[in-house]
Order: sequence, then C-alpha cells, then structure tokens
Amino acid sequence: MGNAFFVVWRESLEAFLIAGILYAWLQGNDSSGKGKRALYIGLAAGVGLALLLGWALLTVQDELTGNALEAFQIGTLLVAAGLITQMVLWMRKNGRQMKARLHADLSAAAEKSGFVGVAVVAALAVAREGAETVIFLYGMSQEGDYSALIGGALAGFAAAGATAWLAAKSLARLNIALLLRLSSILLLVLASALFVAAIDRLIGAGWLPPMLDPVWDSSSLIDDTTKAGKLLADFSGYRARPALTTLLAWAGYWLLVVIGYRRTRP
Amino acid sequence: MKHALHSVVFGLFLASTAAIADDMPTFRLLMKDGRILPETLEVPAGTRFRLEVKNEGPGATEFESLELKKELVLAPGVTRTTVFAPMRPGTYKFFDDFHPETGQGRIVAK
Repeated sequence: MGNAFFVVWRESLEAFLIAGILYAWLQGNDSSGKGKRALYIGLAAGVGLALLLGWALLTVQDELTGNALEAFQIGTLLVAAGLITQMVLWMRKNGRQMKARLHADLSAAAEKSGFVGVAVVAALAVAREGAETVIFLYGMSQEGDYSALIGGALAGFAAAGATAWLAAKSLARLNIALLLRLSSILLLVLASALFVAAIDRLIGAGWLPPMLDPVWDSSSLIDDTTKAGKLLADFSGYRARPALTTLLAWAGYWLLVVIGYRRTRP
Repeated sequence: MKHALHSVVFGLFLASTAAIADDMPTFRLLMKDGRILPETLEVPAGTRFRLEVKNEGPGATEFESLELKKELVLAPGVTRTTVFAPMRPGTYKFFDDFHPETGQGRIVAK
C-alpha cells in the first residue's frame, strides 16, 4: 500500500507538474480558451498512448523488439526534452504579446503552432511515465491485491495532483513576469533531466560511447540510488557517477538554452 | 563512389551480424516478490555479456541502474534481455525501482 502510493505518486508527478505549469501559464496569458483545450486534448491523447505503450511493454519479450522499444522510448525522451525547451522559448516570446492582445492577428499563426506544441508536450508527459504506471498497476491487479491497488494508486494520483496543484496555485499567485520566469526555469530543468536520461540510455544501449565513465563519484554526498536521490535524478538530471558524454550533453544543453534565452528576450 | 559506399554498408552489416553471432556469455537474474536473485552477480570484466532478467511476480518490477544506464520495465511473467558493454572491474549497483526497499542488487565485474 505504502509502496504503491509512492510509486504512483512519483510516476505521475512529472505529468501533473507539466500540466499544472502549462495550465497556470495559459490561465495568465491566454484568455481565448484555445490553449487550455489543446492542453486537455493532449492529456487525453497521452492517456491513450500510455495504455498502448503499456500494452507493448507487456507483450515485448524478445531482444530485437526490445531494442526497438528502447529506441522508441529514447526517442520520446528526446522529443519531449526538445519540445519543452522550444515551448519555454515560445512562451517567453509570446507571453506579453498575448496578454496585451495587441498583436492578435500577427501572432495567430505562431499561437496555433504553439498550442500544438502544448498538446504534444502534455501528451508525451502523460504517455512516458504513464506507461510504467500502467505496468505497475497491471502487476498489482495480477496479485489480486485490489484494496492496496485502489487505495494506494488513488492516493498516489491524488497526492501527485495535489502537489502539482499547489505548485501551479503558488505560481499563479505571483506576478506575471515572475510566473513566466519560474515556470520557465522549472520546465527547463525538467527538460534537461529528460535529455540526460535519453543520453544515458543511448550509452546504456551501446549506441553512444560513454568516453570517460565515471568522471567523478559523488555518491557519498548524494546517493542517486536512494529514494530521495533517485527523485532528484529523475527531476533534475543529477547523476552521482556521470559519464563524460552525459556531462558534455548536459553542458551543451544549457549552453544552447542560454543562447536561445538571450535571443528571445521579450 | 556509389560502389564504395555499398561495400562500406555491406561491411558494417557483416560486422554487426558478427557481433550478434559471437557467443556472448549470458547471465540470468530473477526478480521475485520484490527481491532480486542473486543479489550479487559476478561477471567477467572487459567482456560484452547478455543479461536475462525474469520477473516471476507477483507484481511488476523495474530493473534499473543509473550507474549502468539501464532501465527495463517488466510485467509479471515477462523475461527481457539486455546487452552490457564491456565493464571495467568494479561494483555496480542496481535496484528494482518498483520495490526500492527490498530490491537492491549489484553486479561485480572481475
């Protein structure tokens, strides 16, 4: 029961956080309601995709399809990281314009593509970890442990929703400039963590050389195999024993983000 | 030029099938009831090897290691395999991300 709660909470927190931040931002910046509709469509599509991916994970056993699935999962990580980053930069550029509604006609096209981005980001956020939650819950249902399943899982979902709601609510209280900046930073850190996870899995699959591995070992400081350490690793990209390739990719990511951020000064 | 490209591609194909065909040692790991058997797996250092992870259930498991950069989700009754690149001698921790309290193990490369 306690374990089910923790696993479901952790697996669904990312999706809820992304949805919450997007919702808070759209609340403050988009009065047309189109953005929120895009968000809901994305979330619903994500649930469908999670079920599909969960089913694939259930049936795949041989190595070749296993590799294909691995490649697909790495692909979703990379696309999610890229799209979130692009969306943050788009939000930064369009935030004030949309609020003022002065450039409504000019930015209509940009607005539309932005909303498609919102929907895809939301869908991927739900689908990625959602697939794992599907497997986890399926496993519990096989155990026949329905009271723990329903109690723990529902509590986990609710807690993740509450965590994200709290984050979104406190963000929405801030003035618009601070909201934009804080939610941007949160999303970028999350995107960097997804990117690091993708690079690590590319190395793990043998598709990228690790070069020097590990560069250092900080597991005595923060151990990423503990519950809290793993949470930090999942959400910030922290690694106690990073490979040089991962480190360079992480540094490259932030370099590009800083350049992009400077260019899109609102 | 095109010919040269073809032979390069063919060469790569041969190399890749050779890599698949060569006899990699296979090690087996059993995940059961939130536990990992054996908890310490000894493997030769500097050799590619295949790990076959079986989840006997009940419940789903997730074989995961940040150090080894691997993540395998397993529904009950599912067996999945993954290939490890040659390792340097040392101890590498892994865990069952769905049962972090009881499911801890390590691979020792010698």
